[in-house]
Amino acid sequence: MFELIQGWLQRPNYIAFVLLFLWGIYIMVTRYNLVKKLIGMYLMQTSVIFFLVTTSAKRGATVPILLSTTEAIQPEVYTNPLPHVLTLTAIVVGVATLGVSLALADAIYKKYGSLDEEDILKRLE
Amino acid sequence: MTRHLPAIIFLLPLSLAICLPLIGIKHREWCRPMAFAVIAGMVLVSIANLVGVLQTGTIHYAFGGWAAPIGIEWVADGLASVMIVALSLLALICVIFISSVLFPNLGSRIVPFYTLVLLLVGSLVGMIFAGDLFNLFVFLEVSALCAYALVGLAGGKALVAGFRYLILGTFGASLYLLGVGYLYAETGTLNMADLAERIPLLVTSKAIAVGVLFMFIGLGIKMALVPLHGWLPDAYTYAPDRVTPLLASLVTKVALYGWIRIMFWVLGAQAVIYQIPILFLVGVLGAMAALIGAFLALSQKEIKRMFAYGGLSHIGLILVGMSLGNQTGFAGGVFYLLNDAVMQAGLFFWAGAIIHLYGVRTIEDLVRLRGGPGWMSAALVVMAMSMIGIPPTGGFFGKWYIILGAVEARNYLAIVAVLIATLLTLAYFVKLFERVFRERLSSHDALTIHEAPLAVRISLGATTVAVILLGLMSDQIVGFLLRTAMPPGL
Repeated sequence: MFELIQGWLQRPNYIAFVLLFLWGIYIMVTRYNLVKKLIGMYLMQTSVIFFLVTTSAKRGATVPILLSTTEAIQPEVYTNPLPHVLTLTAIVVGVATLGVSLALADAIYKKYGSLDEEDILKRLE
Repeated sequence: MTRHLPAIIFLLPLSLAICLPLIGIKHREWCRPMAFAVIAGMVLVSIANLVGVLQTGTIHYAFGGWAAPIGIEWVADGLASVMIVALSLLALICVIFISSVLFPNLGSRIVPFYTLVLLLVGSLVGMIFAGDLFNLFVFLEVSALCAYALVGLAGGKALVAGFRYLILGTFGASLYLLGVGYLYAETGTLNMADLAERIPLLVTSKAIAVGVLFMFIGLGIKMALVPLHGWLPDAYTYAPDRVTPLLASLVTKVALYGWIRIMFWVLGAQAVIYQIPILFLVGVLGAMAALIGAFLALSQKEIKRMFAYGGLSHIGLILVGMSLGNQTGFAGGVFYLLNDAVMQAGLFFWAGAIIHLYGVRTIEDLVRLRGGPGWMSAALVVMAMSMIGIPPTGGFFGKWYIILGAVEARNYLAIVAVLIATLLTLAYFVKLFERVFRERLSSHDALTIHEAPLAVRISLGATTVAVILLGLMSDQIVGFLLRTAMPPGL
């Protein structure tokens, strides 16, 4: 048990990811306000992006731009660039989703005059 | 030239989707014919692609000339090419239906509407061809964003349904992305062929097991597998009637196709997580989905909602076929998937047409169809025969091959599940027919009879004929799938 916890504490970045992810889900599930739900959703998406970036981190490594084009490439000097590229695309996807969702929330507010899910469901019937 | 066909199929709808907002400023009336022309072109190119793939073998398209493990790769093999032909044909029929004069005039919103439809079709092409997991995620999200916007287009209740779809869909996509991250962290690659080589060595890895679970739950939400289907009934019921066929026949089916890709081409049919074969788990989930979906359909009052639940039960049946782990079951599952796409399109064409022609939304109202054009009732009967599984329609042969596969695998529970789902499907269609054919028409229900517009007649007629043709040619199609579209190691 002690070794397990010690193992976890050596990777605080993954603990941060798990906390952010669960926090996002918690907000999404428990809040009735649509915009708060979206905040939770965005937190969850961002935590996944954080996870991708954190897998590429390496101690003592630098940004993945070649230091010299003439010498042989030393992979251990650079962080892994691929998760960063994935992250870039995932951020774009996340922003687009947020845009569509805010547009929908805005249309719902104009139609029902409320952002509270319970109010809206009452008005739907 | 053949080598570039997969990219051309994708670029056709995408480039028009990008140009359409610019063209639409001046010439709003061009949207309709241009979208139709581009998708018709897509049908031709995808048939050429299928012929090319059959002659020269699988096409590996490397974007930007970067070869597979490093660059982004698209794979056009037998199964993908067949799916692309089916996708573009269905998209063509749906675009004809969308353009019908039956539906309310969208005014200036017609330009973004067609842009979204084209973008949706293009991203589904990308999902089918995608050769790496992250590319699949990107196209999954593009198609989902278009679908959220299209559902919300109707306003009113559709907005709330679309919002719920968005929240759940994004949750699913995040889980899928997380799973991809796990697999990448463990194997260091995203390319499907590359992963397939590395995963068997790491089969005991917890990261891979959890990553696969996350990915499958994410895709399960996207394909509306029954415990995860919460978004689908409302979204399909309240979505604009002209878009529902497009969503119902294509979006969930292509997500299911993505699952098939990962399950059979990356993990392999024999993959095991914590001593449980994944296919066994999928078989149980599929059987549950088939039964629960059909049960829920039985208790619905609204026609569109009933068909939506019927679709859920068919997703389950396809998974049952896939889970049998032999070639007959796999081919049966793929054949049933093609059939189901056509049937869902046809049923929602029918439901949309009667809503706008006669104002019939619920099963109660169906009495008013009395004295309506006979061919529409005939189309419904053919669709229902196929949904239930009565020869000579495609649905019967799909179920037939799934049952043959189950006999081969000695999986008798799967046979029982398919048969019970069939009986339940029969039950809810009987409920529908009773109102159409048996109830007496009271005088105040009498109604002036409108003939359906040409576009509706074409699209409904085409799907009806397609269902019968799929049935009559089932032997050739399944034989063809068995020869060309089998995953390795099955």
